[in-house]
Formats: sequence, C-alpha cells, structure tokens
Amino acid sequence: MKSMKKNLKKKLAGIKDKQPNQQNQENQEDLPIYPNKNDFIKSVKDKTHSPADLIIRYVSPTITIVYIDNLVDVQSLNELVLNGLKDKESITPSEIHSILPIPEINLSIKLNKSINEMLIGAALIHIVGQPEVVIAKISSYQSRGLAAPENESQVIGAQIAFNENINTNLSLIRRYITNPNLCNEKFTLGRHTQTTVSMLYIHGIAAETHVNTVRQRISDLNIADLIDSAVLAELIEDNSFSIFPQMLLTERPDRFSDGLLSGKVGIVVNGSSMAILCPYTFFEFFQSKEDQNLRWPIATFVRLLRFVAVFLSIFLTPIYVASLTFHYEVIPQPLLVPLSESRAKVPFPPIIEALFLELIIELLREAGLRLPTKVGQTIGIVGGIVLGTAAVQAGITSNILIIIIALCALASFTTPNYTMGNVIRVLRFPTIVLAGFWGYYGIMLAFCILLIHLLKQSSLGAPYTAPYYPPRFKDWPDSIIRLPLLLIKRKSVNTRGGNSEHPINEQNGGKKV
Amino acid sequence: MKQFKLIVSLLLSIVLVIGCADPKILERVGIVTLIGYDAGEEDKVTVTSVVRQVNPDYQSTVNTHTETEATGEKTRLKVNLESSKKIVAGQMRVVLFGEDIAKEGLDEMLHALIMNSEISTSIYVAVVEDSAQTLIEGQYKNVTDIGQHIYGIIEHNIEQQNAVSSTLHEVVRDFYSPLRDPLIPIVKKNGENIEISGTALFHKGAMVGEFPIEDTLYLMMVRGKFRHGTLELELPSEGLSAKDDLETIPISIDSIKSYRQMKLVDPAVPEFDLKVIVQCRLLEIHSSISTADRTIVEKLEKGINKILESEISRIVNKSIELHSDHFGFGEKYRADTRNAKLTEEEWHEIYKNLKVNVKVQSTIVRDGVFE
Amino acid sequence: MKNSLHISLNQKINAFLLIVIVNACQIGVGIHGFQRVVYQDAKQDAWIAVILSFIYAHFVAFIMIKTLKMFQDQDLYGIHQMIFGKYFGNFLNSLYVLYCSFAFVSIIINYKEVINTWVFPHLASSFLYISLLIIVIYTFTGGFRIIIGISTINFLFTLAIPIILLVPLKYANINSLLPILDNDMINLLKGVYSMTFTIAGFELINFIYPNVKEKSKVGKYVHIGLLTTLFVYLTTMLIALTYFNGEQLNKLIWATLSMLSMIKLPFFERIEILIICGWMIIILPNLCIYLWAAYRGVIRIKSISPNKFVWSFSIVIFILTLFINTRSQIEMVNNIFSKIAFIIVFIYPFILFIFALIKKLFTKRKVQNDETI
Repeated sequence: MKSMKKNLKKKLAGIKDKQPNQQNQENQEDLPIYPNKNDFIKSVKDKTHSPADLIIRYVSPTITIVYIDNLVDVQSLNELVLNGLKDKESITPSEIHSILPIPEINLSIKLNKSINEMLIGAALIHIVGQPEVVIAKISSYQSRGLAAPENESQVIGAQIAFNENINTNLSLIRRYITNPNLCNEKFTLGRHTQTTVSMLYIHGIAAETHVNTVRQRISDLNIADLIDSAVLAELIEDNSFSIFPQMLLTERPDRFSDGLLSGKVGIVVNGSSMAILCPYTFFEFFQSKEDQNLRWPIATFVRLLRFVAVFLSIFLTPIYVASLTFHYEVIPQPLLVPLSESRAKVPFPPIIEALFLELIIELLREAGLRLPTKVGQTIGIVGGIVLGTAAVQAGITSNILIIIIALCALASFTTPNYTMGNVIRVLRFPTIVLAGFWGYYGIMLAFCILLIHLLKQSSLGAPYTAPYYPPRFKDWPDSIIRLPLLLIKRKSVNTRGGNSEHPINEQNGGKKV
Repeated sequence: MKQFKLIVSLLLSIVLVIGCADPKILERVGIVTLIGYDAGEEDKVTVTSVVRQVNPDYQSTVNTHTETEATGEKTRLKVNLESSKKIVAGQMRVVLFGEDIAKEGLDEMLHALIMNSEISTSIYVAVVEDSAQTLIEGQYKNVTDIGQHIYGIIEHNIEQQNAVSSTLHEVVRDFYSPLRDPLIPIVKKNGENIEISGTALFHKGAMVGEFPIEDTLYLMMVRGKFRHGTLELELPSEGLSAKDDLETIPISIDSIKSYRQMKLVDPAVPEFDLKVIVQCRLLEIHSSISTADRTIVEKLEKGINKILESEISRIVNKSIELHSDHFGFGEKYRADTRNAKLTEEEWHEIYKNLKVNVKVQSTIVRDGVFE
Repeated sequence: MKNSLHISLNQKINAFLLIVIVNACQIGVGIHGFQRVVYQDAKQDAWIAVILSFIYAHFVAFIMIKTLKMFQDQDLYGIHQMIFGKYFGNFLNSLYVLYCSFAFVSIIINYKEVINTWVFPHLASSFLYISLLIIVIYTFTGGFRIIIGISTINFLFTLAIPIILLVPLKYANINSLLPILDNDMINLLKGVYSMTFTIAGFELINFIYPNVKEKSKVGKYVHIGLLTTLFVYLTTMLIALTYFNGEQLNKLIWATLSMLSMIKLPFFERIEILIICGWMIIILPNLCIYLWAAYRGVIRIKSISPNKFVWSFSIVIFILTLFINTRSQIEMVNNIFSKIAFIIVFIYPFILFIFALIKKLFTKRKVQNDETI
C-alpha cells in the first residue's frame, strides 16, 4: 500500500514538472541592472521578447520609465510619477523612493525580479549610471464590479459575491472579520502565471495542524501554471482520485468568513472568483449559509429535505429498475397494473430505458448550461416536454419512469453546492447499472461501496464523515439538522487542533510530498 | 491504489460474465394472481390459475389455465408450456380450495405453499362452495380481473371483520398447531356475483362443517377482539313496551366493540368460562320504547345478553360436535395447566367432553340523537 | 519474543464505540433463524434461554476483561505468548486464527444461502462470494477505523429490526408463551447452548482491547453492548414465539425472515426481499472484524502486509466456499461451528483466566525471590 502511494506521488510529481533545476538555470541567467541606458533597455527587450505593449518613455536624458501598457494606472503614472520626476536630472533611486507619493515602491538590483514586477503592473524607473531600478507599483486591474452571487444565491442574507481580484476579495473578508488575529499568508504559484495565493485563517481559532498542512501542501506544489482555485483545490486535496470534493469552493464572502470563524482554513486565489475552504466534511456540503438565517425548524426541515433528495436522487431510479427487472413481488397490487401497462410497449429492459432517459436529462442539462441563458431555458423546456412526450408516445419509455427520472434530476439540484450536486448526479449511473444486473443486491453493493468510500475519505486529515463517524455529539445540533443557535457550538469539533485526538487513517492521511 | 482499482474492476468484469441474476421483467412475465385447487381423478389435483399478462396495446389480459397434475410445480410447467410468457407466482394474492378437496384435506397444498419462498404468507386462503374451477372460470358482470376481484372481496371483508381472517400465515399456524384448527371463509358463486357465504370449520387439515354467514359475527366475538359490527335482534317484548300488541321487538345495534375472556375453571372435565364483554350503540328500536328510562335500557341489555349467550353457545357446541377447536381452547388449556404434555390425540379426546359456560355482558353505550 | 504491540494513537477508538462493536459482532446471520434451534429444546421458554445465555455471556465477558486487564495493552495473542511461551502460544494463536477464519466462512455461506433461497435462486454463488469478498477487501484496506465506522452504521440498522417487527405483533398470540418454565431444566440449558452460535462474536473484544483508549471503561461499555444485543434478540425471539405456533417454528428455517414477509407498506410489499439484501451491511462489519482479528494473529506468527494478507485470505476462502453448496453441508458447517464456538467463546476464557492467575502468581513470587536474593 505504501509503495503504491509512493508511485502515485511520483506520478503526481510528473504533472507538476521538475522545477528546481529550471529555477537554478534561471538564477544563473539572472542579470544585474545595467547602469547604461541603452544596455538596460536592450536587456529588458531581450527578456520580454520586445512585446508590442512595452512602453519606454524617456522622461529626461537620464531617467527612463519602462512599463507595459494597460497594466499600469495611467492616471497615477501621469500625475504622480511623471510629475514627481519632472525636472529631476541627477537623482538617486533612493531619493525617488522617498519623494514619489506612491503607496508601494521598491528598489531592485535584479533584472528578473524587476521584469516580473513589471509584468504584474509596475513601472520601472531607470536612472543612468545607477545599477538599481525603482519599481513603482501603480498597477491597475481590470476587474468587474461586485455582483450578487449567481451559483449560490439565497433569499435571506448578503447579496454579494467574490470577484476575480484578490485584493477586492481580501478586503471583503476583512470587512466581515475585524480581528488582528486574521492571518494572511501569501504564496506565488505557477512559473508562467505567478498567481498570487493567499491563505487565510484566524490565529487561535484555526487548528495549528491544519494551517501547517495547508502551508506545507501549497509550498510543496511545483506547478507551471495556476488559473483557477478549483485546480488548486484538487492539487492539495487528500485524495485526488475520489469522486467527492474534499474542499469547498464558494463564491460567498459571508460563507467564507463563517468558515474562517468556525476554525477552517481559507485560500483565495487571484483571478478566481471562488475561494477554497477546508477541512470540509461530507455533511457540510449540504448546508447552505442561508440555513443559519432561517428559523431553526425551517432550516432543519430544509436540511432533511436535502438529504432525502440526495437519497432519492441516487437510489430512486435504481430501485425502479431493480423492482421491475427482478423483484416484481414487491410492487403493491394497485401499482402493478399501471406499472406494467405503462411499460407494455417498451421494447427495452428497464435498465436500458432508465439509462436512456437519464442520458436525455443529462444532455438537456449540459446543453442548457452551455447556451446563453435565454436560449438555455427554452432548450430545457422545449427539449424536456417534446422529447418526453414523444418518447412515451413512440413507446420507448414508460411515463412513470419519466416522472421518476424528473424527480431524481430535480432532487439532485437541491444540493446547495454545485460540485457536490454533480457528484450526486453521476453516482446514479453506476448504481443503475448494478441495479439492472443484480437487483436490490446490486443496489446494496453500490450503497456499501459508497459508504466505505465516504468513510475512507478525509479532508486535511480530518474525517470526512464527521460528526457521525467518529461520533462527535457536540457537533450534532448543526449537522443534518439545525437546532437553535444557542445550542450550537461555534467552533466545530472537527476543526479543532490536536490531530492526535481524531486523526484519519494512516493510508489516506496527510499528503506529505 | 491504481493497481488496486484495476484489480477490482477486472474482477468485477469477470463477475459480470459469470454471474448475472435471472431477470423477471414485470411486463414480460405472466403473473399468477389467483390459484384454485380442486380434487382431480386418481389423487391428482386440478389447479386453476388466473394469469395476468400485458400486451402492447396497454391492456392487461387475464387468462385462466386449468391443469390436472400430481404436484403444483408440474402444473406450473404445463401452464408455462401454454403461455407466451414465463409464469411467476410472487404476486399471488388468493388461494382457493374447492369443497371436495377441502374435505379430503389441505395438508399437502398448504405445505407446498408455505415452503415456497416466492409466495408471501400474507395471501388469503378461502374455500369455495362447489368447485374452484367453475368459480374462477365463470363470467361476471364488470369484472375484468377475477383474481383482483376475489382478492378485493376477501380483503375488505376481513378488514371489516365480516369474515374470519384467513391469511396463509394464520391458516398454516393453526394447521400445524396440535391444539388448534383453522377457520377459513367460504366464497360462493351466486349467479353473476361472487359472495362470501360462510365459514368452513376444519379438523386438522380437513373441512368438517360450515357456519352460515349470519354466524360470523358470533364467531368473531368468541375468537378475540371485535371492533365494528352490526346486529339485528328480536327481543321478547315483556316488560319493555307499553303496548302489549307486539310479541317481539326488533332492535338494531351497531358499533359493537367486544372482547372475550377465556378462563379454565376445571381442568379435569375440562370446563371453560367464556365471557364476552360487548359495548354497542342502539341504532333502531320500536318508537314505543323510551330509552331514557334506565331500567328499560337495563332490560334491553339483559335481552341482548340472553340472545347472544344462546347463539354463542350454539356455535361453540357445534364446533365441539364437529371436533374443530378453532377458538383455541386447547391452547388455553395447555397454557393454564402445568406439566400437561398434551398430545394432539389426547386433546381431541378431551375436547369431545369440553364444557363451556358462556356469559355475555353487554352495555349500551349510547343511542341516537332522539330518544 | 515479539510481544509488544505498537498501536499508533490514530488507530485507537473511544471506549463507547465498544457498544456498537459488540453489537456488530454478535448480530449477523444467526438472527435470521436462531428461534428454531432454541425452540427445539427450550420450547415456549426459549426466550428465557435467550436471557440465560446472555447472563452467561456477561459473565464470560467479565472474565475476559479481567484477564485482559492483567496484561496491559496486550491482545489475546500476546497473552498466549506470554503465558504459554512462544511455541505453544503460537500454536494456540494459529488455532484462534483458524477459528476466526471458520467464523468468516460460516457467515458468508449462510448469507449466500439466504440470498439464494429468498431472492435470487439462480444467481451463481461464486458471484455472491466474490462481491462480498471485494467489499470486505475494500473495507479492510481502509484500516481498523473504517471497519469500526461500518459497525457504527450497522448499529442503526440492527436497532431498526425490533421496530420493524412490531408490525407482525398484530397476529401475536400470547398463549404461546404459557405456561412459563413448564419444562425440564436440562432442556432449557440445551436451549442456552443452542444460542451460542448466534451470540458468539463478543470474544473479539480480546483483540480490540488494545485499541481502546480508556481501558477502565471497557467493561462498562462491553456490558452495555451485550445488553443492546440482548434487547434485539429477545424481542425477535418473543415476537417469533407469539407469532408462530411451536410446531411451525420447529420447521421454519428463517423465522425472522418469514415474519417479515407479512409486512406490507402502501408502496412496498414483501419487505423481506429488501431487508435480506440490506443485510449485507449487517454482515459486513461481522466479516471485517473477524478478518481483522485473524490478521492480528497472523502478523504475530509471520509479518505480512495487510494487502497481501487480505488478498491471499480471500482467495483461500473463495476456494473453500466453492466446496460447500447444499443446505445439508451448510447445516453441518453450522453444527461444527456452534460446537467450536461454544468451547472457544464460553469455556476457554475460564481456562485462560486460571492460567493467567497462575502465571501472575508465579512471576510475583519470582520477583519476590529476586528481591530477597
């Protein structure tokens, strides 16, 4: 088992390239800043392969400003930098550093570092005769404004979502949590993308072990590029092979802050509107932030409804298939006639019929998702009604099955988390196949495998099926039910420190590369 | 890990090849809903089965098949040979026995039914007056599925306690009990209708007699808890009515709730005290009688007691005469005597001399809205 | 002598989980039809036999825990090696491993028989074995905590049995239980003896003991676990006794399942078919814990990786089970197993206890002697 793990790790490393060597090469190539103006410009152009949007401005015979068009804020460039440098002929970089009224300004003697900074929106100020450049960070980000969350919409609660700018996102979180203990650790990931990643946690609430694990896993990553947080989540998960997500992706700053306050570790990735929360348990994926805003009996009802929906969504169609294929004895007499008559014309066995209809539903969903909103809705309705009616009339499906399939599809969309909802939908297919081959025995087989799989999973080393296994009675008031807030402990036992108490099993444990 | 999953999937695919359960797809099987047994010639059994099938015109058709063979399974084979679909028995609801075969004894058939795990023990058993085959093959108005129809008749009457409960489980339980005999309702073809016409008494596995349908109520009272029943009685008019021109007063009572107490008073004879406690509502009574008067109500109750007592005694005595211990006196006897070690034969000897003192205690709980 | 057993902290469990473990070990395939064997001897007092057998089980468990407490952090295999020395100890250990494997086989063939009789008469038994073994392997490779996790879920299922069985109570006849104790004591004791096959399983605390965090609470929770099992068995027995007639019970192979076949829900009939298939989750922890106990014994004798062990074990079991096909063979296996189980579970702990006492006394004296010298 262990050796297999090692193999696996090696293969994983393959995905992430072997970076250390390359880094060394780059370090060897790292050039100093040339004091000569022309040499400097040439070196910058060589390094960046003289892109079309590289702007070189000669402010005075001695001072040159180099920047990338559109990455810098034109207003601050004109008003602050150019104005400040006007009529200054002999000046040292450290003097510029002190006179320019810009929030963030650095000095560097390394060409590579300066160019990297330039690529994320700094203007380089070069002075003839000085082996140093001034890096004036006046970057401007093109980002959309804050909007209401689309994927995790809710009726009662804040109507604001993260956007793609990490700074905006961090400020949103800091607006929710005003606490000096809110720690923010910055990482830069991806050789080609230099994506900024922030790890957030509240010191004193988040478990030290979890923070260390996340830090370890992120800094151990050697990846060429990182575009979205979902990719990062998959790379640092405990078991990337599992179908179940082990970390939450959320676009809601309130949910994110709530997670931090209950002791979880959060990760925000620049350029991604979804933030990561971990460790997360299976049951927490079915909770919505809105549950806390509703009255507790209603919240409990909604949560129970979701779990019933999950169960129905996975097992209702298989039960239909199994009952009609093998266990005709279990059908009550009043149902016997409608069931058998509705299937009278269908030429396929129930398993083919069910798979066929499930396929149609999935196609409709996927088509509706990819098309523009207005067309998508039309496709959904037209496709659903026309295909359904035609299929029944043509006698290739039974109308009772259509009801069941529609119910299952509906049920799978009640899951508040999109990634988990996808999982629930997909799980239905193998279960249908097993049910079609071995009836209830097959369903039970699927159920057992699912159960064992869930028990085997972990999130940051914390058990995935908590608080039910291992039983943590203190967390039960806020699990598949929600009791009044007075009875709920703010800090979940699952996220508490001291992994010694309830760690997960060894094999799946801490992914220490 | 990857290797492990590979092995699992490999194994699963092997399994897929070697083992796949045999499907019985609902619309591709012929579902037996009703089965009737009759005595055939030379110890053989004539089995009539009602098979429901679905054809592509969304219609269910119901066919009856009749075969005479030595065992049930052999008849199933024959029916299969005649049918376009595989015949399965898992949805069977009712088993009917012809009168002739019931009198010969149901031992073998009950044994075969209970042995088969395909058949539920919650199905109903009934005896047919005359032969089961004619009942099943008969033509009835507005009845498309005879199996479902008979099931409906029996089920709702048992639920309403108009007939004794005769699930296969209860019949088999009483049949295997050395100290108790089963009781099974009788159905009858009456022109274009089917009706429950009485109750068959059994001694061991063989039918020995019957009670008419009017006696069912008393049977139910003695058998145990009774929830809802209606009864019409004619009480002698003495002292009840102001007018003397009526000889008897017809009254009607309903919402009868009763339970019985059985007590072994003398194990030597043996002698039982049977006490039936009845609560009822007065539904109809002659206008000349005022129920506001407490004494009259008491008299009415006494009158009811008397009639019920005589009726119940009659039924109990008839059962004793026919050697059918379906009330469970034997079980009570065994339960109340220590070290009895009663065998079946001994009990039947004793049962002949059984003495039962019936006592009914009725209360009129309420009457109508108008005194 | 490799006696010390290193159990990392993350393989340890809370003591209260012993309730579910004892429950999971004891309730398996036996509950399908134990009424018949007990009734054959104890007649209408079969339920008293159930209670008596559990009183005995409590006593045995008490002695077991006493023995375990004498040797801190040791399982039975370690105790064997300490008392009887390496060679004889290992011999006893291998016997116990064989017993665990036997229990495993017995469970798996009984379950297969039920499936084949009630649900799929034509389904190849090799498929049933392979599918069961695969999920057992899948669970086992997850480690001890996963096995206990499955037991926890199984606990909910077992507690549901008495609730489901309330429905057949409609047909119950209380007279079947009377007269109480109108039977020879010998027959009653025979009935108690017949219960052993069914309630064996709690001997596995011998191996789980080192994995429990709070050793002082082991006794308490094991006894609570036994009580919950008693509750399940007792209700099942009482309902069966009143629901069936004695003679009928004598002939019923799976009385519990026959009772279930009476239950009808408005949307679901023949509930026993679903329950039999669902029984997989009840036998799964059963199988896994026996397998795990066997593995614990095997690594004492020869170090082997769990992966290798579980695969080779499964293959051997699969080949073995292919030879057992007919009902009479299964009955024979059950009979042999019940005899062995009685000796190992209900008699051997006392013998071991005596040996342990002697050993303790001996070492104490030796220490004292050493001190005086």
